[in-house]
Amino acid sequence: MSSDRPVPLLVLGLGNLLCGDDGLGAVAVHLLQRRYRVPDGVSVLDGGTLGLSLLPYLEEAHEAILVDAIRGEGPAGSFVRLEGDEVAPAVAGRLSVHQVGVADLLEGARWRERYPSRVILLGLVPESLDLGLARTPAVEAALPELVERVVVEARELGHVFVPRSSDEMAARGSGDLSHVYGL
Amino acid sequence: MTRVVVDPVTRIEGHLRIEAEVNGGAVSEAWSSSTMFRGVELILKGRDPRDAWAFTQRICGVCTTVHAIASIRAVENAIGASPPPNARLLRNLIIASQCVQDHVIHFYHLHALDWVDIVSALSADPAKTASLAQSISDWPLSSATHFAAVQNRVKNFVERGQLGPFANAYWGHSAYKLPAEANLMAVAHYLEALDWQREFIRIHAVLGGKNPHLQGFLVGGAATPVDPDQQASINMGSIAGMRDMIARARDFVTRVYIPDLLAVASFYTDWAGYGGGVGNYLVYGEYPEDDGPQPQLFFPSGVIRNRDLTAVEPFDPEKITEHIKHSWYDYAGGDDGGLHPFNGETRPNYTGPEPPYERLDTDGKYSWLKSPRYDGEPMEVGPLSRMLVAYGSGHPRVQELVGSVLDKLKVGPEVLFSTLGRVAARGIETLVLAERMEGWLDELAANMASDLRIHDNEKWEPSSWPSECSGAGFHEAPRGALGHWVHIEDGAIRNYQCVVPSTWNAGPRDAAGKRGPYEEALLGTPVADAGQPLEILRTVHSFDPCMACGVHVVDTKRRELARVRIP
Repeated sequence: MSSDRPVPLLVLGLGNLLCGDDGLGAVAVHLLQRRYRVPDGVSVLDGGTLGLSLLPYLEEAHEAILVDAIRGEGPAGSFVRLEGDEVAPAVAGRLSVHQVGVADLLEGARWRERYPSRVILLGLVPESLDLGLARTPAVEAALPELVERVVVEARELGHVFVPRSSDEMAARGSGDLSHVYGL
Repeated sequence: MTRVVVDPVTRIEGHLRIEAEVNGGAVSEAWSSSTMFRGVELILKGRDPRDAWAFTQRICGVCTTVHAIASIRAVENAIGASPPPNARLLRNLIIASQCVQDHVIHFYHLHALDWVDIVSALSADPAKTASLAQSISDWPLSSATHFAAVQNRVKNFVERGQLGPFANAYWGHSAYKLPAEANLMAVAHYLEALDWQREFIRIHAVLGGKNPHLQGFLVGGAATPVDPDQQASINMGSIAGMRDMIARARDFVTRVYIPDLLAVASFYTDWAGYGGGVGNYLVYGEYPEDDGPQPQLFFPSGVIRNRDLTAVEPFDPEKITEHIKHSWYDYAGGDDGGLHPFNGETRPNYTGPEPPYERLDTDGKYSWLKSPRYDGEPMEVGPLSRMLVAYGSGHPRVQELVGSVLDKLKVGPEVLFSTLGRVAARGIETLVLAERMEGWLDELAANMASDLRIHDNEKWEPSSWPSECSGAGFHEAPRGALGHWVHIEDGAIRNYQCVVPSTWNAGPRDAAGKRGPYEEALLGTPVADAGQPLEILRTVHSFDPCMACGVHVVDTKRRELARVRIP
């Protein structure tokens, strides 16, 4: 893993927590951190809809897994995995407003020739992007599976997430707002 | 007569739709519509007011700090909490750094492409570009080699068809006036600005934690500890780091952004005659300089009517109302009246056409934005309003810089009321803030030597609050005046209303038929080619629209959005 980048792997959750299934990527990374210890060399972030403001985080990563709501084949809650050249068109297709920002983010890194050496997009097909903190039942039910897929993907890239004990899961780090969002 | 529909007009988040009628090569009538329902208020009902900022922070993806700031101020105002000096200074630094970053990004990333022709940059002579750049600034990255490298990079992307952020623009449009060399210089600085913002926004990591969403907010103060000697706090080391970041930011603004702005503007002085708008300007004020109940503000609050800079009126929050005659909402008391945000209602009633549609029924309701009014009048908010109110109130540095910009462009103060004035005001504000930030940092360093308080604990517990209370939180976001109003009952939120900058600027007509600022500003805007309404984008973008900010939820039925059609 020879790279001048300080972060070997970035796991970046995307989407708006206030817009139903749109926030599933952000929710998934909160769940991931609750259930697993983040290994050294991995940065797990809830990027929300910050778009270009996420450029510093993306550019310091050698490889990146983006977690997001993705328009795709199959019913709501279906798992989608895209990689390489498939990623940019998927987020440029404007499933929701936040993806416009994600497209800017990826293009910004590309134009600056600071694109991570590998970008993988994992996500679920959403059902509703309407205002609300709750996900639809189909998406909510598929979230644990999405978290596991992220863990598997990271392992294949050489980063092992270790499950937390139930005591650990109950404890929350300072600055963790996930309980505020009902996660 | 041609009806032009621009949908959406933002390059980043947003569903803003402009319909304009073009007559004889100029806009004769315009309607501004937001096609997204906004209703974060509904999510907040019943919640703990101390948590509200964490939700409102997610309203807008572009300005993560601003809804957090307005929210904690509204709740503090309601419960009577007083943040200590360290918290005030930390907030000033957070707000100013957000504003400086946002303005630079707006200029290079969102707005420059309305003035700068990327494709023309390909035919520039790098050596002549270097001479041009060196003639306006001593910025070190101005060599012919540097510009040739940038040109090559652009060439590669264009040849591969990967225009990326530069796709969907009107390259070659007759309204582009810059020489090829100026275009190349601007493209080079566009790329440098991306680098610059990446470095500068690290200041937020120091101020609010290593998270893209700042975690340092707290009702009653700040959650980020300060202690000169503690490792886990904002200490003397972090002060030194921030001092360095602020100095670099000021350097870039002084030696790149402002010279570029002046260079570009000098080719577009005709735009001082377009985009004037309603001529009324509203500023809530920002950057408290002391800790009293009515603090002195670095950028003063005030109201200007009919472009009269000699008569800045005091701002009275009671004069704000929101109207819905042309908005997809109902009021219990009928459509013709206005409601103060404390009594605000958010009851959606969509009566528009089933999307996708050709055009809106602009005689009826046509936007998800309400129409905010001040004393019954539409008001422009944003950097131009702030600079005009500061200028009219005798702010010495603002007066000096406005004078100097007008001198360099060889124009009089009347040009401020225009599209170009908006662009210039944003640059002036950026410079004034980049200069002021170090002072707040010094004050923080001095204060924390003897005072480590970051929070007013006395009002933290809901048992210390009145059973019923209400408060307003005012903030100057990069895009303009932002207000949150909260009503708390038995420790929970009973009503919450946000009036955001883009609602002031992009809102529709009111019951009296008065146009909103976008609508008014577009009148008379020249349109050389109705199929490529670049000029409309210039004026709308000069306001820095942020529709994800003005409205919060997308209408998922509409997918084909990026299009311009001539019905």
